[in-house]
Amino acid sequence: MSDYIVEMKHITKRFPGIVANDDVSIGIKKGEIFALLGENGAGKSTLMSILGGMYEPDEGEIYIRGEKVQISSPNHAAKLNIGMVHQHFKLVSDYTITENIILGVEPMKKFAGLFPYVDIRNANRKIEELSKNFGLEVDPTKKIADLTVSMQQRVEILKVLYREAEILIFDEPTAVLTPQEIEFLLGIIEGLRNGGKTIILITHKLEEIKKVADRCAVLNKGNLVDVLDVKETSTKQMAQLMVGREVNFESAKAPAVMKEEVLKVDHLTVKNEDGFEVVKDVSFTIHSGEIFAIAGVADNGQVEIADAIAGLTKVSGGKVLLQGKDITNESIRNRTEMGISYIPEDRQSFGLVLDFDLSTNLALKQYYREPFASKGILSKEEFEQFGSKLIDKYDIRSGQGIKTQVRSMSGGNQQKAIIAREIELQSPLMIFVQPTRGVDIGAIENIHKMMIQQRDQGKAILLVSLELDEIMNVADTIGVIYNGQLQKIASSESLTTNEVGEYMMGAKHE
Amino acid sequence: MSKDKKKKSLRYSLIRPISNEKWQPISIPFVSIIISFIAAAIVILLIGKNPLQAFYNLFQGAGILPKPSYAGYKSMLTDFLSLLNAMTPLVFASLAVAVAFRAGLFNIGVSGQMLVSGFLATIIVGYSGLDAIIAKPLVLLIGMVAGGLMGGLVGWLKYKFNINEVVTTIMLNYIAQYVISFFIQMYYIDPVSRQSKYISEAARLTLVNVEIANLKMDIPLGFILAIITAILIKFVMDKTVVGFEIKAVGNNRNAAKYAGIKVGRNTVLAMVISGGLAGLAGVTYYLGYFSSIQPKVLSSIGFDSIAVSLLGNSHPIGVIFSSFLVSIIDQGSTYMSSQAGIRQEISSVIIGLILLFSACGAYLKHKVSRLKEKEVDQKESES
Repeated sequence: MSDYIVEMKHITKRFPGIVANDDVSIGIKKGEIFALLGENGAGKSTLMSILGGMYEPDEGEIYIRGEKVQISSPNHAAKLNIGMVHQHFKLVSDYTITENIILGVEPMKKFAGLFPYVDIRNANRKIEELSKNFGLEVDPTKKIADLTVSMQQRVEILKVLYREAEILIFDEPTAVLTPQEIEFLLGIIEGLRNGGKTIILITHKLEEIKKVADRCAVLNKGNLVDVLDVKETSTKQMAQLMVGREVNFESAKAPAVMKEEVLKVDHLTVKNEDGFEVVKDVSFTIHSGEIFAIAGVADNGQVEIADAIAGLTKVSGGKVLLQGKDITNESIRNRTEMGISYIPEDRQSFGLVLDFDLSTNLALKQYYREPFASKGILSKEEFEQFGSKLIDKYDIRSGQGIKTQVRSMSGGNQQKAIIAREIELQSPLMIFVQPTRGVDIGAIENIHKMMIQQRDQGKAILLVSLELDEIMNVADTIGVIYNGQLQKIASSESLTTNEVGEYMMGAKHE
Repeated sequence: MSKDKKKKSLRYSLIRPISNEKWQPISIPFVSIIISFIAAAIVILLIGKNPLQAFYNLFQGAGILPKPSYAGYKSMLTDFLSLLNAMTPLVFASLAVAVAFRAGLFNIGVSGQMLVSGFLATIIVGYSGLDAIIAKPLVLLIGMVAGGLMGGLVGWLKYKFNINEVVTTIMLNYIAQYVISFFIQMYYIDPVSRQSKYISEAARLTLVNVEIANLKMDIPLGFILAIITAILIKFVMDKTVVGFEIKAVGNNRNAAKYAGIKVGRNTVLAMVISGGLAGLAGVTYYLGYFSSIQPKVLSSIGFDSIAVSLLGNSHPIGVIFSSFLVSIIDQGSTYMSSQAGIRQEISSVIIGLILLFSACGAYLKHKVSRLKEKEVDQKESES
């Protein structure tokens, strides 16, 4: 018998049209942090869904603690002490933490030996104990609705711990967290390992793997490329294996050649629905040939600034000027016509109509004008021609070309489609909000390249990002936002990552 | 093992005809209809009658199949024309639901919109003594405008105050029902029929008892208009900027707004179109199929149309066919009950079953794609 707690041998899983896992064999030792690295669509999640009982493999065998098993359902997996912390939380927001955790495995007691009821008090105590043991620190009586995203994730972790999981699978756990929260979570994961648990970490972020993982399996297009010892491998090597070619982390870019002013934001104030000021008296300018990045922790008003410039949010004070013209009260359509391209943060609920096909989405900002429509009648041929042209030009991959329903496309390709559409508008101002969120390294590199290309062609670019590395990498000028106010505006060369980080936390004042 | 396999392959051959996604918009409703007829057959068997006989009578009664004998001045053609006469308002009403549905709105107020436009057309034109040449177009116009305004009001309330259209349409149904009932009973009541007074023949959209070739038939002028309207709506939805914007708003409000589409204006517009169509349903019903209004009653067409529209996939042309089918069952029921001795209400059960199964279309589609996936899996692992 081997010393592996989990062994997956020759696993193959096919979906219509693709092989998600092709003869993949991995072994995971007890008490290690085992990372699964791969681009979107590499088959990481499928492999772990098989282990978690969501799918059954077409071929191959699974051994848990040396015993051959067929995991038929998530409940079965739980019985084998396998627990999954999902990327998208599955919590009832009106229930307390305890209620969520015990849902499905409620501890019952009988009142007067007759009437069964759920023993919440005991459960509360047990969960409090559990959370202290692993440094998770939650108040079990709080409602989910009142918790931050990172707290909700802790509840998800507690949920699997409560079910006595020994093998914990984390599916992209850091995708929704801020840098500080990531730090904390990685600490917790290490603590779990030190407490004897076995951890499987699905991610495409290399730094995280480098930081906590012991070993790492690299998947590419459904195939296992290699299993590496993390200590002896550089992040660069990992990235190469993952993408299957050499990757440039640093975007090569020439120094900015700034010309005339394109955007002027003058004492901008924005209120949210509750009348609370989320953007307070913000002023900055962006020039032709400049990438201006707003750095900041999530929900500090940066998205509202972008929305206000694009016209999606009402401005309550101040002005927005595009090429010298006051556009503060213009309609969204007029702003697009006057020269604003906008890549929104939430590509699925804002950037795309998921049930429309690809060509329609690519023409979503131009459908009403020549040549797409004349006298109110749409031209199908023009939609198709334009769509085909963009698919080629921007290498957008989809199952059925221009006819593909956008819903069925991968996140990276959806983003490519949006960026293609917005670049094609040829607007003097381009706004990118979190353009690389949830896309893989290859695509990130590509998106950065396109941004710099657009800059070099004389566009003014506003970048809003939560990834500090991204900002340091591509920005010419950085504005750091904290609590709705711009703390600092300076050229990117004059700032270090640490300094930006301090401004982001509101720690550094001038 | 081999038996098991055989069973499986049988199942695949059963689903194959509806596994082609291109044809699913047609094949799935078709399968729903077949299933519901099977279910209806079971019901009829349970009450001890012959289902085939019943279905045959149903089609005979609707003028699709010939009856063994006809009364004077009647023939299969006259039956068929009354079928079209009854079908006309249903087509308009279902189109009304379909258009709203494309814009992401649920127009439950078709009945109320029908009643208001029917009533206004009745008192303005129906009792006026205008010539047919002016009266008939005027009836249509009033129907469209009244329905459109009422639908527009719903859209505006949604846009301005974010009031759910389901709530406003239901409430407006009640308001229309009782306010109009008040006016009819106060000013327009016919003491004998206890309905509103009959309108002039000139204003009526169905030509009644026209004698042609020794037959007396009802010619529904609105039917032609209904077909033209369906084609027109299809064109607007598929090929024009207006339709594009309505669909975009219906599919994803946020993305539509982001793309510069005026969400509020399109919400109101979609409801105006929907209401206008409901208005046409109203005038072809109260001033066509009937020629008076029964107070305190809402037409069930307004509600049936929701399911009929669903059965037709909210597609303008599909709606014509689903209205046709439902009207056949409705119209044929009297004859069925007299010939086969099955109570007329059974036809409502059949309609109910069809609509129920058509609502399950999405489930059917899901199930088929699941089975198809499995089949592909199996084939691959066998090879």
